[in-house]
Amino acid sequence: MALGRKKAEEISGDAVGLEAVGLHYDDGPDVLKDVSLSIPQRSFHFLTGPSGAGKTSLLSLMYLAKRPTRGNLKLFGENVTQAKRGRLAAIRRHLGVVFQDFRLLDHMSAFENAALPLRIAGVGEAVVQRNVNELLNWVGLEDCKGAYPAQLSGGQKQRVAIARAVVNRPKLILADEPTGNVDDTIAMRLMQLFVELHKLGASVIIATHNESLVARFPFPRLHLDRGSVSILPPLASSAEFDHDDPRG
Amino acid sequence: MFGIRSDLPLRRDTASRFVVWLVMVLVFMASLAVTVNSYIGVLIDDWNRSVTGTLTVQIPIAAAGDKASAILVNKVLDVLARHPAVAKSEAVPRAKITALLGPWLGNSEAISDLPLPALIDVEMATEGTEAVTAVTASIKAAAPEAVIDDHRVWLNRVMSLAQGFGVVALTIMLLVTGALALTIVFATRASLAEFAQVIDILHVVGAKDGYIAAQFARRALVQGIIGGAAGLALYAPALALVAWLASRVDSEVLPDTALPAAHWLTLAALPLAAGLLAMLTAHITVRRALSAKV
Ligand SMILES: Nc1ncnc2c1ncn2[C@@H]1O[C@H](COP(=O)(O)OP(=O)(O)OP(=O)(O)O)[C@@H](O)[C@H]1O
Ligand SMILES: [Mg+2]
Repeated sequence: MALGRKKAEEISGDAVGLEAVGLHYDDGPDVLKDVSLSIPQRSFHFLTGPSGAGKTSLLSLMYLAKRPTRGNLKLFGENVTQAKRGRLAAIRRHLGVVFQDFRLLDHMSAFENAALPLRIAGVGEAVVQRNVNELLNWVGLEDCKGAYPAQLSGGQKQRVAIARAVVNRPKLILADEPTGNVDDTIAMRLMQLFVELHKLGASVIIATHNESLVARFPFPRLHLDRGSVSILPPLASSAEFDHDDPRG
Repeated sequence: MFGIRSDLPLRRDTASRFVVWLVMVLVFMASLAVTVNSYIGVLIDDWNRSVTGTLTVQIPIAAAGDKASAILVNKVLDVLARHPAVAKSEAVPRAKITALLGPWLGNSEAISDLPLPALIDVEMATEGTEAVTAVTASIKAAAPEAVIDDHRVWLNRVMSLAQGFGVVALTIMLLVTGALALTIVFATRASLAEFAQVIDILHVVGAKDGYIAAQFARRALVQGIIGGAAGLALYAPALALVAWLASRVDSEVLPDTALPAAHWLTLAALPLAAGLLAMLTAHITVRRALSAKV
C-alpha cells in the first residue's frame, strides 16, 4: 500500500523506552510501579492484562497525553519527559493512535476524520484523496465515506479511527482495543493492516483482551498486572503464522 | 496563518456568538469618539484662525504729554509695518474712538478734549499663536507700556474646553479597545473549554499550538470585521442626524467645515482594526491557555 510520504528524518534509538516509570492519578494508587521497558523499532507487541490494569494509561504516556509521575520516557531515543511542547507536537506526528473510545470528531465525515492528520500536516489534496480513499476501501468503508460518526456503527467508527491513526504512515502505532467492536473476519483484516504497516517499518503496540486474536500471531506480549510489566513470548510460532496467512 | 479550512465546529459555538454584537456596539462607540475628536480638531483650528487673525494694541496716555504719545504710536506703527507677520496696521482715528465712547459720555464738546489712549488695529498676515507672540514681543520692545489684546484668555478657555472633549474621546477609544480585547479573551476561553476534546484530538493527530491558535484567530478576525462593519452601519445614520442638528446651529459657533480626509480614513479602518485586535487577542489567549497544558 502506498500510504503517505517518505519521512526524510531518520530516527535512531528504541521506539519506546521507559526508565523506572511510575504513574498514579491524583491521590489514587500507583497504576504503574517503576516500569522499565524498551521497545525496539520495527517491533510488534501485544499489550495484555486484566481490565483496569493500566493498559490505556501506559499507552497514553506513550502518545504524550500524560506525563509520568516519575521516571523517564523516551520516544525514538529522545527523552520526552522534559521536552518542550513544540517538540512534543513534532514527535506526535510520528505516532498513530487508536483510542479505545475512538474519539472521532463528530462534525466531520468519516473521510474528513481519516484525512485529518494529512491535512494538518499540510499534505496536498490530491495525495489526501488518493491515500484516504485507498485506506477506507481497505478497511471496508467504501460506502460510508461521507457518513458522520453519529451515523456509523461501533465497528465502523473503530475502522475510521484506525484509518486516521495510520494514514500518515506513523513510525509508532499505539492501538487500544482496535478490534473490540468488530467480528472476527474484520478483526483479522484490521490486524493484517497493522502487520503490513509493521512490515513496512512501523513499530506496533496493540492493547487487547482478545486472547484468541493474540494466539493467532507470533508477536510477544507485554503483560501488565498490578503495576508491573513482564514480556511474555508469542502464543503462535512464526512458522505457523507464515503458513496461516490471515489474508488467505 | 490564513488557511481556508477549520477543524473546529465553530458554527456550533454558542459561547462566542455574542462577540459580533459586542464588537458592533464597541465600534459604534469608537466611531463616534473618532468623529468627536476630529470635529474638535476642526473647531480648534477654526477658532484659532479667526481669533489669531487680529490684534488690538492700546497705548496708554503718556505722562509726558500728547506729543510723546504720538511719537510712541508712530514708533509702534513703524515696528508693525516692518514685521513680516503683520498684513496691515493702522491707528484708529480719534474721531472713531470718540464715536465709540459716545453712548457713555454723550456728544458734548468736552470729550474732544478728553485725554484718550491711542488704539492700533492689527491684521495678521501669518496665522497662529506663534506669530501673535512674536508680534506682541516686538511691540513690547518698542513700547513697554502698550497693552495688547490678543483675545487669548477667551481662546484659551474655549480651547481647554475643546481639549477636554478630546481627552474624553480618547478615553472612550482606550476603553473600547480594552473592552474589545477582554470580550475576545473571555469568548475565546469559553470556546477553548467547549472544544477541549476536539483540541485534544487535534493535538494527538499532530496539530501544533500555533495551528489551533490560528483557527481561533482567523475566526476572531472575521467576527471583528463583521461586527465592525455593522458598527459603522449603525454609525452612519447617527452621524447624519447629528450633522442635520448641527446645521441648524449658528455657523459662528459651529463652523460648517468639512471633516478632514484622515477622519474618514480612520473610520473606514475601524472594522479592520477591530478585526486585527480581535485576531491578535485570540491568538495570544489560545497560545497561553495551551501552553499551560501537559
Ligand atoms: N482519568 C483517570 N483518573 C483517575 N483514575 C483513572 C483515570 N484513568 C484510569 N484510571 C484508573 O487507572 C487504572 C487503570 O486504568 P486503565 O484505563 O489504564 O486500565 P485498562 O487496562 O486500559 O483497562 P481496560 O482493559 O478496561 O480498558 C484503573 O484503576 C482506573 O480506575
Ligand atoms: Mg483501556
